Amino acid sequence: MRSYWTKRVLGAAAVLLLVIAANFFLFRIMPGDVVSTIVDPRFSPEAKERMREVFGLDLPLGRQFAVYVRRMLTFDFGISFLSQRPVWDELKSRVPNTVALLGSALVLSSALGTWLGVKAARKRGGFTEKVVLLSGSVSFSFPSFFVQLVLLLLLAYTFPLFPLRGSVSIPLPQTGTARALDYLWHLLLPAGSLVLLGFGSWAIYVRNLMVKTLGEDFILMARAKGLPEGRVLWNHAFRSALPPVLTLFLLALPGIVSGAVLTETVFSLHGVGKYLLDSIMGHDYPAAGAAFYILGLLTIASNLAADAAYALADPRIRVGGRVQS
Amino acid sequence: MRKPPRWSFMAFLLILAVAAAGPPMLPGDPGRTMAKPFAPPAWSGGDAPPPFSGAITPASREITIDWKWDAPENLTLKGQLAFDEDSPVRLVWTTAEGGSFTLASFRGGSLWEVDLDARDMAFKTGLGIPPFASATSLLFPGRGVQTLSLEGPAPSGGSLDLALPGGRWGLLGTDQRGRDVLSLFIVGVRVSLLVGISATLLASLLGLSIGLTSGYLGGAADALIMRAVDVLLSIPVLPILMVFVGIWGKGLWQLVMILGLFSWMGTARTVRSLALSLRESCYVENLRSLGAGPWYILYRHLLPEAMPVVLAAVSLGVPGAILAEAGLSFLGLSDPRVISWGRMLHEAHGFGAFTAGAWWLIIPPGLGISLICLVFLDMGRAIEEMADPRLKGGGGR
Amino acid sequence: MIAIRDLSVTYRTAARSVPAVRGVSLEVPRGKVTAVVGESGGGKSTLVYGILRLLPPGTEMSGSIDYDGMELTRASEERMREFRWKKAALVTQGAMNSLTPVLTVGYQVAEVLRVRLGMPGGEARERALELLAMTNLPPGYAGKYPHELSGGEKQRAVISMAVACSPEFLIADEPTSALDVITQAEVIATLVRMVREKGMGLLLVTHDLPLALSISDEMAVMHEGRLVEKGTPERITAFPSHAHTRTLLSAFGVTARSGQ
Repeated sequence: MRSYWTKRVLGAAAVLLLVIAANFFLFRIMPGDVVSTIVDPRFSPEAKERMREVFGLDLPLGRQFAVYVRRMLTFDFGISFLSQRPVWDELKSRVPNTVALLGSALVLSSALGTWLGVKAARKRGGFTEKVVLLSGSVSFSFPSFFVQLVLLLLLAYTFPLFPLRGSVSIPLPQTGTARALDYLWHLLLPAGSLVLLGFGSWAIYVRNLMVKTLGEDFILMARAKGLPEGRVLWNHAFRSALPPVLTLFLLALPGIVSGAVLTETVFSLHGVGKYLLDSIMGHDYPAAGAAFYILGLLTIASNLAADAAYALADPRIRVGGRVQS
Repeated sequence: MRKPPRWSFMAFLLILAVAAAGPPMLPGDPGRTMAKPFAPPAWSGGDAPPPFSGAITPASREITIDWKWDAPENLTLKGQLAFDEDSPVRLVWTTAEGGSFTLASFRGGSLWEVDLDARDMAFKTGLGIPPFASATSLLFPGRGVQTLSLEGPAPSGGSLDLALPGGRWGLLGTDQRGRDVLSLFIVGVRVSLLVGISATLLASLLGLSIGLTSGYLGGAADALIMRAVDVLLSIPVLPILMVFVGIWGKGLWQLVMILGLFSWMGTARTVRSLALSLRESCYVENLRSLGAGPWYILYRHLLPEAMPVVLAAVSLGVPGAILAEAGLSFLGLSDPRVISWGRMLHEAHGFGAFTAGAWWLIIPPGLGISLICLVFLDMGRAIEEMADPRLKGGGGR
Repeated sequence: MIAIRDLSVTYRTAARSVPAVRGVSLEVPRGKVTAVVGESGGGKSTLVYGILRLLPPGTEMSGSIDYDGMELTRASEERMREFRWKKAALVTQGAMNSLTPVLTVGYQVAEVLRVRLGMPGGEARERALELLAMTNLPPGYAGKYPHELSGGEKQRAVISMAVACSPEFLIADEPTSALDVITQAEVIATLVRMVREKGMGLLLVTHDLPLALSISDEMAVMHEGRLVEKGTPERITAFPSHAHTRTLLSAFGVTARSGQ
């Protein structure tokens, strides 16, 4: 148990360091003066020289990296070229939006996918199984942003049920409840489209796992015990298939984060992914680096959460003990 | 026993044919303005006029236009006429209501070059209207027959082409710049194929060599490589690609390189496990005891065993690369001069296809991407099925 | 008594159909040990799962299985569920995979009591401890997960679970395969003790001829889906009537004892 956690936390730390290192070196291998990647090119030469000192650019590379790691860990990302404001001040308001989008999409698509996957495994060749297989191949080959554009065209333009763009209405509604509802209204189509695109592969994965689990001896045993079918299905089969289902979170997460960047662009949401794109387009390197780092951080944190859930669901990790083959 | 070929192989050949032969057969430059912006497809109906074209030649010195709609967006007249006789000629426009305008005149006796555009200031000044007024609403005051005729001596050669951009156009309408969407669509298939296949080939090559090396060496090197694969697989790829493109530039080949560099992990993992199982298998043991060197075993025996797997991985990997290219292009992180399906969606999203309700800018490129991905997925599965018995026979698992 | 008459079971797949049990008739009385011996793939397990009607969908059954006047081949799923475990409980190859890996042993025993007998939670947990103790598993084992148990311990846990609802019959399908010899003896001893104490009928299905000969009251030899020999162990050892039985006996080196 302890070694499991040491391994996971160390692994997460390694990935975090890798993300920081990637950030550090990527923005330094660019053609041209190093200063221009960190300091606004429009500054005067004297100001640049001062910045050079402030950011420690005259230090040896190793010291520079140490300074950089400390700045990243304390969310000190420097000043945005575009807005001339601290990057973190700009990002702060966007993180909750991205977390809300990612979180709701992950939770809803995994819940729906799991439910349908279990149903499909139970009735092989049934209607649910056909739906699952179809939606799975859709999510493998249809570009997410295309599906979202079509949804936007249908549900925001042709039938204006949802807003065309934005995270909130402008001007903001007055009361708190109205604001919350407005926020949900803006979130519904982006998150819903991610669920629509994501549940199929979940369902297929869960179905395959469940088909395998339902063929195990202990399922036959549970049926022989005369337990009701629902109990056999959920309490014995699904409960046993849960640990590998949880690893799917780990597998699906990078794709969902990538999907969130596209989603935020399609729906013009006030999120970290859209900020990353805008910064890259505007050659605002401090901002782009920070947005990239935040997305990496979100991924690593969710990975750890999934690891924790895995450990809780699988007694072989939670309890350890002598493992019989 | 021969089975009928899978649909995907046929579809793949069709796509290749379109990519190879399509663009040269297009009815003109895909970059040219063909009709008004956001013109719906010709078959979609509606009350918009179709595009009109006519020519003045030595044989036909008059164009009659039976116009049943509101005034068109624009009118252009381009070309040249040769005159032998040294007397003046005029181009006269007669409206349905009887009004008459001289659009241009020439003294005669030589070659007359004409390039008129109803949106030009000079054209409007010539008609005596202010620069912000619409010249076409003057020339098309009502519905009925309008005529353009050449007055003066007959030309001896050449032709003048009259074009009225329609409100409807072609099979798939026009985009925000009035370009033919069908042409753009056909040109776009090239980028998807090119980027998809070359990035995946690069990735497979990388994956193959890394996987073989890792599986064959084993030990600490193997553990290190596989750990790196795990880490790379746990980081979202799109943001990395975005940063790379932002730094290295938006060129097509940069994109291929970047996509290749970040999608070899799956192949490497598959090839490694195959190499690992083959390494332990009896026949490699036998080869080794016969004195075969590691490189000989690697390239003469392990590589051929891994080939079907790699081929299937290529085919299954292409959709990923195509989707990544489309995603980056959709985000605007691609060369603006290169027309691709992702770029078309980017422009549709960025330049107001929604306010125009222009579904024809969204559906064709999107379906194109999806279809090409489905084709490659199905081909990959077919290759896997063909390769499977060999794998079962070869792997000593 | 469970009376099987002319039972045939055929597995059907899209491509072909495979007959697994062909015209088997067998009686399993209460209070006695009935053994069915045969080689793997000879249809023994099919017979067991046929009695409990746990065969894969699409499998064809003909003939009859009569349990005290109830026709099991045609009973409703509801009545079958009632029959399972309360009337006939199953002991499988427990060393392998018969316990749900993510639930504790105690929970799995108590679950049967709660769900099948409607026992309240606390009482079920106490009773589960008693049942485990009956098969020599100390109370600490209730909180353990299957992976923490040895093969023999798992099998004893499965036996505690099997007797939880005091069934009239135990059906044991290769209960000792995959166990070492000493553990086999322990498990068989536990099984026989439970059956004798409670007067249950035991249907033992095994490929282990010496085991069947040593503990059964009545036995049958199964070969390619048919019962080729039925009788007491003594009779079969002394006067095997079918060529396959003789082959089996000589394979296990039992012919030497035929005079006993």
